[in-house]
Amino acid sequence: MEIPIALKQIWAFTMRDFHSWVTYRTTVVTHIINIFIGVISWGVNATYVQKPVSEMYHSDYISFLVVGVAIGNLIMPLVQGVEIGLNPWTLETILMTGMGTSAFVIGNVMWRYLFSVLTFIPYLIIGIYVFHVTLNANIPSVIVAFIVSAAILMGLAMISTGVRIVTKSTDPITWAINILQSIFAGVAFPVIYLDTIFFPGVSTISWLLPQTWVYHLCRLSMLTNPSLLDPPFLIQLLEGSVFAFILFPVGYKIFEWGVNRSKQEGTLGWY
Amino acid sequence: MTTMEYAIETINLVKRYPTRRPTMGRGGPFGGFGGGGGRGGHGGGMTSFGSIIDIIRKKKGPFVEALRGVNLQIKKGEIFGLLGPNGAGKTTLIKILCSLVLHDEGEAYVNGIDVKKNPRAVLRNLQAVLPESRGFTWRLTGRQNLYFYALLYGLGKKEAEERIDYLLEFTGLTERANDGYQRYSTGMQRKLLLCRALLPDSSILLFDEPTAGLDPPSAIEFRNMLSEVAKERDKTVFVSTHNLLEAQKMCNRIAIIDRGKITACDTPDNIRYKTFDERTVSITFHDVIFNEEHKKMLDELEKTYGVHSATPEMNSDGIFEGITIRLEKGADFSSILEVIMKSKLKIKWINTQEPTLEDAFIAITGRHPEIGRQMRRP
Repeated sequence: MEIPIALKQIWAFTMRDFHSWVTYRTTVVTHIINIFIGVISWGVNATYVQKPVSEMYHSDYISFLVVGVAIGNLIMPLVQGVEIGLNPWTLETILMTGMGTSAFVIGNVMWRYLFSVLTFIPYLIIGIYVFHVTLNANIPSVIVAFIVSAAILMGLAMISTGVRIVTKSTDPITWAINILQSIFAGVAFPVIYLDTIFFPGVSTISWLLPQTWVYHLCRLSMLTNPSLLDPPFLIQLLEGSVFAFILFPVGYKIFEWGVNRSKQEGTLGWY
Repeated sequence: MTTMEYAIETINLVKRYPTRRPTMGRGGPFGGFGGGGGRGGHGGGMTSFGSIIDIIRKKKGPFVEALRGVNLQIKKGEIFGLLGPNGAGKTTLIKILCSLVLHDEGEAYVNGIDVKKNPRAVLRNLQAVLPESRGFTWRLTGRQNLYFYALLYGLGKKEAEERIDYLLEFTGLTERANDGYQRYSTGMQRKLLLCRALLPDSSILLFDEPTAGLDPPSAIEFRNMLSEVAKERDKTVFVSTHNLLEAQKMCNRIAIIDRGKITACDTPDNIRYKTFDERTVSITFHDVIFNEEHKKMLDELEKTYGVHSATPEMNSDGIFEGITIRLEKGADFSSILEVIMKSKLKIKWINTQEPTLEDAFIAITGRHPEIGRQMRRP
């Protein structure tokens, strides 16, 4: 059976990035060191947010944190992969092969994502054996939560990249999203803790941010053992999916708009 | 309407670039006509919200016309040269044909396929070598880089390996195929670009300044390779260059583009001869003292039909060394020789000064091809 050309193209990107990565031998060592540093740095101030963690996820703070670090490590490549792969010098040459947008986007992300999945495991092993993390995961729910999260983040990445292809620099939209994420997305503490830090009701802002749903759905699936048929989890999953259903096609369109706009202005080869 | 007879056809092609883009670095985005389609630049810091709103609203600013109604018809199997000074619109035209830049008006066809309407089909018929493209991964070997592109072009594993082996052999890169790309010289990098363009075996190849930056031996080698590709593999080759010698040696036909307009299109010889109304002939004599009889001969020469001027060449001792005659292209040279023979002068040699392509280029554009600066028109 003939392999579809899009799959060949995605495979080509994955192999290229893997071959390129293995030439950076020290990266492997520094990556492992970074895992330790990441987990330790997230352990700070654990006692202050213990209560909301147990309320939201029926878990302890260190488990919440380590899972958060692991999720961050797993999902960041989806955001960064497209942007890094979009050096316009390369973009021109690759677009001349006549490949489609979807194969291009997925291909650029695939190796980094596979590598993240591999490093996700040591994160959890270190968490479990060094920091006594208690995982309570439901595998089908974890898979679905990760797929929804991937769609949300790919959508955001394509929006950001589409704008960057035109503006040729860090765009303020991405910058604003990142700033909001660091404060409101519940990366280092449960979002309801924001009501304690600032004033009651401020955590509502968090639920309007797609990144909050990424962390929340992944944590729910990994810490609370929810069944896919469990109505409260299913409702949360559907709420998060709304972001995916909106952001993925919008991101795809904005990415295509960016490429076409850049072609119109003759700036595709600029950086 | 276009016909399948032509590999490339453009009809009244117009491309305008906006002249203001605050996000661009290097002192502004456009250096002159056609500058936008080609060279890279780099952005500054963060873009303002205002500029993003401008982009979304497609704010109309002042434009510069990179192409102003370009009409070209390139036949299948031709080696066609596009000559023009820097910023004439060469790169813009090539990038439009590759669908990397979208034109504003007119039509462009590749093997009869509309470039704007069906870019993916166009790219199955055409590939380009752009000197500044950097699609290769520096940490990979030349072979690995080619394999990556072979998969993007949809080649199977065996087919890709065979094709890569063949192309590496053809370009003389086999021995260095497993070296990292970062260790390649400029000449080798250019050959790898050629390999990549030849991977899908498209019927049309575009080259933008193919020998720019190469030393003379590498440039000759690369030129020979292009000619071989065109002749032996029956491909249409479109070369943009400001190297006139390159165009004269390689191309069946050339077009001269200046300020976004095609100003001449013909064979190199026809362009050379059609541009000038007169030719210059130098006749050298065996040494003789200039006398009255010679003066009469010069007067008679100037009265001969087709002769514009006849200037004696004498040294400081009054020795009559020769004459420089400027005459019409179609003048009867035998009547000139008849006049000279009557004066019993012994001719040592006759030298016809042929117009070069460079002369023609300067005459047509008023600019030197490489300097690009405005020169006095002859």
